[in-house]
Parts: sequence; C-alpha cells; structure tokens
Amino acid sequence: MTSEGTKRFEELKIGFIGGGNMAKAIAGGIVKKGLLSYSQIYVSGPRMHSLESWQSQGANVYTDNGTVCEICDVIFLSVKPHILPEAMANICMNSRHKIRSKLFVSIIAGIKLEALENLFRSFDSCRIIRTMPNTPMMVGEGCTVYCPGEGATENDVKIVRTILEALGICYMVPESMIDAIGALAGSGPAFAYLMIEAMSDGGVKMGIPRAMATQFAAQTMLGAAKMVLESGKHTGALKDEVCSPGGTTITGVHALEKGGVRAAIMDAIECAATKSAELGRRHVS
Amino acid sequence: MLKLMKRPHLILSCRTFYVTPKNNCEDEPIERLSCVEEKIGFIGDGNMAKAIFKGIVNKCLIQPNQVNVSSPYIKNLDVWKEMGACVSTDNAEIMEISDVVFLAVKPHILPEAIKNIEKSPHAANIKNKLFLSILAGYKISKLEKMLSCFEGARVVRLMPNTPMMVGAGCTAFCPGHGVTEHDLMIVRAILEATGICHRVPENIINAVGALSGGGPAFVYLMIEALSDGGVRMGMHRAMASKFAAQTVMGAAKMVLETNKHTGQLKDEVCSAGGTTIAGMHELERGRVRGSIMNAVEASAKRADQLGGQ
Repeated sequence: MTSEGTKRFEELKIGFIGGGNMAKAIAGGIVKKGLLSYSQIYVSGPRMHSLESWQSQGANVYTDNGTVCEICDVIFLSVKPHILPEAMANICMNSRHKIRSKLFVSIIAGIKLEALENLFRSFDSCRIIRTMPNTPMMVGEGCTVYCPGEGATENDVKIVRTILEALGICYMVPESMIDAIGALAGSGPAFAYLMIEAMSDGGVKMGIPRAMATQFAAQTMLGAAKMVLESGKHTGALKDEVCSPGGTTITGVHALEKGGVRAAIMDAIECAATKSAELGRRHVS
Repeated sequence: MLKLMKRPHLILSCRTFYVTPKNNCEDEPIERLSCVEEKIGFIGDGNMAKAIFKGIVNKCLIQPNQVNVSSPYIKNLDVWKEMGACVSTDNAEIMEISDVVFLAVKPHILPEAIKNIEKSPHAANIKNKLFLSILAGYKISKLEKMLSCFEGARVVRLMPNTPMMVGAGCTAFCPGHGVTEHDLMIVRAILEATGICHRVPENIINAVGALSGGGPAFVYLMIEALSDGGVRMGMHRAMASKFAAQTVMGAAKMVLETNKHTGQLKDEVCSAGGTTIAGMHELERGRVRGSIMNAVEASAKRADQLGGQ
C-alpha cells in the first residue's frame, strides 16, 4: 500500500535530485500555477552555493540526496546522465532502507526505464515514470511525454499528469518514441530561439530597432504556432494563405527554400534523436 | 481626459479605462477603449480582412452587425454573412455608411476601385472617414493623394498579420496627416484586441512587413520541417505536428516573457555534450540563420518594389 496514495495533491512534498534549469522550470511552473508552494519543494545538489536561487525562493535545500528521497513523496531525477550513478551512490549511502513507497520521475535524457528500474530494484515499493519535458514549462507552455514503468500505479500517473498539464501539454507514449520526441520537444526550443534570433537579425538589418525586432519575431512565431494548433489547417495550407501572388512573402519563402532550411531542420532533429539514443547506451547499462 | 474625446456623445455609451501600458506599445500612458461604437467597413474581403474581423468579433470589441464588407463576388462573402456582417458588392455604399474603412484590396486594384467610388452618387457623402490601409508597400503619401477627393479623410497605414485570427497578431501602424487622438485610440483598440501593436515611422514599415506580416509563412515552413524531422525519426504525423507547433509556441513565449536574450535561452537548453547542441550544430552547418535573414531581406525589398513605383 502506498502512503502517498492517500494524500491529496496539495499535501505532497516534491523533491528534485539535481537543481538545474529543467528542475527549476518544473518547480517554477508548479508554484506559478498555485499547485504547491516552495515550502513543499525539496532540492539537493553537491554544492550548496549553486542552490542559492532555490533557497531564496523558499525551497528546502540539501547536499544529501538521500534526505530529499526520505522526506518527499514524489522525487524528480534531474541530474545529467553521466552524474546519475554518483547521485544514486549518494542516495544509497545513508538512506537506502529508509526510502520506501516513493514515486521517482526521471527527466534524464536517454536513460531507459529498464536501466532506471535496475537502479531502484533494491528499494522497497518504489515506482518509476520516465518523462521527456521541455523548458517552456516555465511559461506554462511545456510539451512533455511520459512513459510509466512496470509498477507505476494509476495514482502515480495521475500525479504526474497533474504536474505536466499544469505546465503545458503532455502525452503518454511507448518508450520507443521517447528519443525522437526528445529531439523535437526537448531540443526544439533551442532551435526555435535560433530562428527567432535570425528573424530579429533580418529585421535589424532592414532597419528595425533590436528590441522591436526581437519582440515582433517572437510574437510572429507565437502567433503562427497558435494558428497551427487552433485552426486545424495543414501548415502548407496556412503558408499558402499568407503568400499572395507575386507578393512579399513568397519572395521570402523562396529564399528559405533556396537555403535548404527544411533539410537543415530535419538534420537537426535526426542528429539530436540519434545523440539521445547514444547517450542512453553509454552511461548506464 | 475629456479633451481627448472628440465625439462627446460616445462618453455615455463607451466605457473607457486607463491601462498601464504593456511593454508592447508606446511608453506614454494612453487611454484605451474597451469597445468601439463606430461602423467598420472593409473594402475587399481577403484573408487578412477576415482575420481582423474574426479577431475583433471574438474579443467582443464590436458587434458583428457594425461591420460592412464589400467584394465584387457576393459568393465570397458567405463566410462574413454567417458571422453576422452586412455584405454588399458596392464599395461606395460601404464607404458611405462606415466611419472607419479598411482598405483591404490587392495593391494593383486600389486605384481603379477608388476612381469608381469617386464617380458613384454615394461619393458626396463620403466625409470625415478614417481609412486604415493594409496594402503592402503602399505609401501614406500615395494613399492621401488618392483619397484627397474625400473631404476630411485621414489615413493610418497598418502592417498586420493573420494570427490576429487567434488573438496573437503582431501589427505595426503609422498615422498620416490629421489623424486624431481618438482615431489612434480606435486603431490601438482594434489591434490590441487581436494581439500586440507598435507605432513605427513609415521608413521601416516594409521591414516590419517582411518580419511580422510574412513571418508566419516562414514559421509554418519551419514547423512543417520540425514535424517532418519527427516523422523521419518515427513519430506519427499528428503528434509530430502538434509537438512541433507547441514547442515553437513555448519557445516564443519564453522569449516574450523572460526578457532573456535568445542566445542565453539557447545556452540554457544546450547541456555539455548533449543532444540539443548536436542538433544546433546541424542548423549552423546548414546556414539556417543566413537563410532566414535572406528571407526577411528579400521580402522587405519586394515590398519596396511593389509600393515604391
């Protein structure tokens, strides 16, 4: 019987092993939506000084991973893939027997469920859910997929969905799709920042002041994306609707096609997905 | 505050309120209208006109029956009729009954359309209208000359974009001679009901058009390519497209809301030796930045060509 199964969401304590950007995004999103307060958030990392920003928000900070696992009901694994073995060792050092009936949620790129389940096999009644989230969770527009492990219960999934849906959209997927999706939704924001910056640079070249150029580039991208999500129309059809005959837009589109932009973007996704699979194989057997 | 209202009878029926200026419009505090009482006309019924109409109706800025639209082909106007607008094939009639008139025809059509309106019996009553032009590349001076036959005409040149339809538009505007404070309040109310707006000097409006007017098409291309990449790596199309769009939307919102530089935001996603930086390298190898700059430049130059004759 799981102890947090009887707790309401508002009573949960959420922990983060590793306090980096993604962990900050998730914690920040949860608090911004009013689901929990920072006093219910626990984070651990090797160096106290890098957890200062967490502390100043009111979160509980530790250098001992085991303590966070003992206290919390749901624990996010948010370290870099190559750090995981060391982080696990730190957990096991003092606390292995005190950690039971916990839900671990992994956001580590490339580390498979099988590998995670092996790591936690010796822990009593602990379940795993693997996720691939992205940083726009911080502004409530995240895009996350999750894959429950063997022992994960309906309530576990409900908790994870509650968190992820407060921060954007989420989907359950078979594990085989997670690398491809990670490349798209996990890395995609970085690709989009490059595109926004390039649009802004183009605007600045043609005489628009930088601040306005960046704002217009970002708003244009936001609006176009919203059109795709809400209009139900194909991206090609939407593009056609903006391109009047002999007009300014089709001239711009021609420049993008000449530059092979579509292929370069596909290359980026392919490369990121392949790298994700490679990282998973390399770090944990 | 009262001196800004040139039409006192509107004070009773139109609620106005002060809004702290969002950082998307000018810095000085500006009175905002929460509803527009004027009759709005559209000469031309294309995609952009529809986008503006849908935007202002969805935000309840106006009642649909305040809108009158004209087009040579009455069949095209079914969509407008369904949404509650009044339709006509007579441009002059629409211009006469409207207070605010959107010029939304293709640039090469406008001169003849205006000539025909001038000759019409309605022409004598076309006075004191506010003309809002969305014609790409068409200079204010040219518009003012063309509309000088109508007494009291004022012109504001707009560069809008189609995501106005989903409340996420991006528009630049530039007032011509004699445009009043109340005119500008109406313009801002319409544009802010449908997204963000900025007043700009006319010499950069073509550049803005390349960026925010045509920009959505560039973004659709990028979203489709991201989706293709996802499908290539095994995702189903519907999910790939949805995730591509959501990801890009989230990224754009991060830029707008965090005030961090795009380069810094990119750095925050790229862990050392990770998946994202590997993907970034492909984009740089593919010279995507240069191609996007080329697109904005080519588009702006084409606008100069179209309007500058």
